[in-house]
Amino acid sequence: MANMEYNVPTERWPAHPETATQEGQNKFVGFWIFLAGETALFASLFATYLALKDSVPSDDHLLAADLFHLPLAFVMTMLLLTSSLTSVYAVYHMRNNNFQKMQLWLGITVLLGAAFLALEIYEFVEYTGLGHTFRSSAFGSAFYFLIGTHGFHVIVGLIWATLLILRNAKRGLSVYTAAKVNTFALYWHFIDVVWVFIFTIVYLLGVL
Amino acid sequence: MAELNQEPMTKAQLEYLRRQRTREMRQQLVSFGLMIFLTFIAFGLTAMEVIPAQFTIPLVLGFAFIQVILQFYYFMHMKDNGHQFAKLFMMTGFYFAIAFCVTFVYIVWIGAPVN
Repeated sequence: MANMEYNVPTERWPAHPETATQEGQNKFVGFWIFLAGETALFASLFATYLALKDSVPSDDHLLAADLFHLPLAFVMTMLLLTSSLTSVYAVYHMRNNNFQKMQLWLGITVLLGAAFLALEIYEFVEYTGLGHTFRSSAFGSAFYFLIGTHGFHVIVGLIWATLLILRNAKRGLSVYTAAKVNTFALYWHFIDVVWVFIFTIVYLLGVL
Repeated sequence: MAELNQEPMTKAQLEYLRRQRTREMRQQLVSFGLMIFLTFIAFGLTAMEVIPAQFTIPLVLGFAFIQVILQFYYFMHMKDNGHQFAKLFMMTGFYFAIAFCVTFVYIVWIGAPVN
């Protein structure tokens, strides 16, 4: 992208920089197709979890109602929901051609996502200590596969955002980098969408 | 390949765009407030068990769907023009999502021994 124009004056910055080029439009449509595929992936994991919930081989295994702590799930939900809003701010500043603020809000998104991930690791460590592991029961396998796949997506998103911040730090904003930031924001919102279903179906309906 | 061919905009056009974006930001903040509110209600209903579980379950699931629609339409800009493909693909995704959940739960249910 040697001929790409960076730090465009605002009069010539398009209203929708992320889809101002053919490449940006392709990225946009392609990424929505990817998200539909991700929906099917998470749907099969949710279906497995719903089918195998509380399926344990003997009475000494812990069930969903014994395991889950609502306060922890609540704090995690708030962290991820807020990080979704901060990536909205990043896209807002990207469209307003304000590179510094876009970078700042992306950074805040990464910090909130990292805090969420830390809590999830803490949760997994605690559950394994209680004897609820990936191999202890069908319930354990379904639980860790579902939450773990979501956690893996969070890790990928964090690496993605960090690389975007570092890679764009020197070159600034162009219609090429704007499309990348917008794609990341879509991904991050989708992770939050999946989490909304996880906290509802796994945690809230688990303790009822 | 990916050049910028945007005609320079006048001051009035820029001002119009900025106002539009500010208005959109306000809508997004309102939907964020709604999401937080729905999360509070969902956790509150479950934790305090003020109403029976058979009412809480559909309510909480309904709140989740409202939150997801807000997320798609306002945070992911699905309300804007040019999202017909996105809508088509996400609806197909959700169709399969619901079908998977129903079939998996059903097959375990009919496989369960009758007491």
